[in-house]
Amino acid sequence: MSELIEPSAGAQASVRARLIDCDVHPVLQRGYKSLVPYIPRPWHERFVRKGANLPGTSGVPLKFTHPNGAVLREDARAPDGGLAGSDPKFLAADLCDGHGVDLALLNCLEAASVCSAKAGVEESIVLASAYNDYFINEWLPLDQRFLFAMTVPVQDPQAAVAEIKRVGGHKQIAAISLPLVNIQMGNRWYWPIYAAAQEMGLPIFLHVTGIESLLAGSPSITAGSFDSYIDRYLAMPQLAESSVRNLVFNGIFERFPDLKFIFAEFGFLWVPAIVWRMDRMWRSLRHDVPWVLKPPSEYVRERCFFTTQPVDEPENPAHLRAMTDLIGYENICFSSDYPHWDNDMPDATLRYLDAEQRQKVFADNARKVLRL
Amino acid sequence: MNDTATPTPPRARRQTITLDAGEAEGFAPGDFHMITAGTRRIGVIRLQNGEFRALRDWCPHKGAAICKGIVSGTWPPSSPGELRYERENEIVACPWHGFEYDLVSGAELCQPDAPKLRFYPTAIVDGRVVVTVPATRTEQGT
Repeated sequence: MSELIEPSAGAQASVRARLIDCDVHPVLQRGYKSLVPYIPRPWHERFVRKGANLPGTSGVPLKFTHPNGAVLREDARAPDGGLAGSDPKFLAADLCDGHGVDLALLNCLEAASVCSAKAGVEESIVLASAYNDYFINEWLPLDQRFLFAMTVPVQDPQAAVAEIKRVGGHKQIAAISLPLVNIQMGNRWYWPIYAAAQEMGLPIFLHVTGIESLLAGSPSITAGSFDSYIDRYLAMPQLAESSVRNLVFNGIFERFPDLKFIFAEFGFLWVPAIVWRMDRMWRSLRHDVPWVLKPPSEYVRERCFFTTQPVDEPENPAHLRAMTDLIGYENICFSSDYPHWDNDMPDATLRYLDAEQRQKVFADNARKVLRL
Repeated sequence: MNDTATPTPPRARRQTITLDAGEAEGFAPGDFHMITAGTRRIGVIRLQNGEFRALRDWCPHKGAAICKGIVSGTWPPSSPGELRYERENEIVACPWHGFEYDLVSGAELCQPDAPKLRFYPTAIVDGRVVVTVPATRTEQGT
């Protein structure tokens, strides 16, 4: 394992940062081969026998395939033609140098989807460690601007705790990527993970894994299935809405008084509506959840952070500003989603913010939630 | 016009520069040939009907390098369950947000009133594609 330091260290670097990007997606540079050095031989043989890194289908696109073929940006391919997000040096140059990003929180969606439901539970434990070790050893040392949201094998909470304790002390690990499974976020299934995260001073990072409503074990987003990419894509914020409610009403914020959550790529315009509704119903039905000791909005304000992308584009831009005013400027954190197709690059995002608001959204709020 | 009015001096015509984009026969429909003018990147493409377009490599939505997008046809509005495909190699989809632009007119398909692609004039001179672009101040020497 690489360098370990105390959780609070690294703070000096964060003080200097003026632009923190809270959602950046790296991919394995050489596909499954990148993981091989970090996978015990028996497991490697198993994965090879099962066809790891081999085309697994006839190539006929599935209904949730992106209509333009891929979520990865064609214009962000690595110089050698590799997939966008596969070359750490190019990512640093293209995103960090090119757009003035001082700190970039990397999270690997492939690792999250594997640990959510693509892999069996025993496989997911091995693979979570392999993904984490790959990025810790082959990405983080290359650029101090890289932060990392380590992935945990959520199918086994005790194994997840062990993984947090194994690598969670690394100075560039700033959050725990908790892959979404078909168990609500306030359920006691997660409590050991939350306890370990709180102990390590790491926030829980929630992001879609890409397999929601696709594979059993992943969360169902809505009451039924979908027939198109666009329909499913637009339903994703419901996962976050549901999670916020469940965290509050299951008393997670009282049980884990220092634990924070960051909701990535769910947008943020939906937050005021559900918070108002929760506060109103809490007045009426507080005794249903007596462990919720104060209005839900207070927990959300203190402990929940929401990344900006994808920012909506109403016909009248003033309406976006008005909506942003409603949620306020204390809980939203800039994210680009680089190198995905629906990115919001910093130069072209929320340009109406004044200097103070911009400082909060583009840097200070991330400092409040990430372990820097 | 009032004869006593002070005549307006003729507006200085902006200088242009011409760029050679290569042999016209070397352009397969649907493939961008990239050329540069200073810091400006320009994509030159041959349409299915043989016309050429030269466009700034800049999506008018958010500034993506649009010439790295997909050039193809598109599926026009249709009845539920019906699928048609037309306009092969006349549409470019931005590699970022997927907005589709008409390479014939420069307009965005979904919102024709939104900012358009920036085109530059093209001509065939001695079998070669020539693109004319406005000179920058530096290029004009001012």
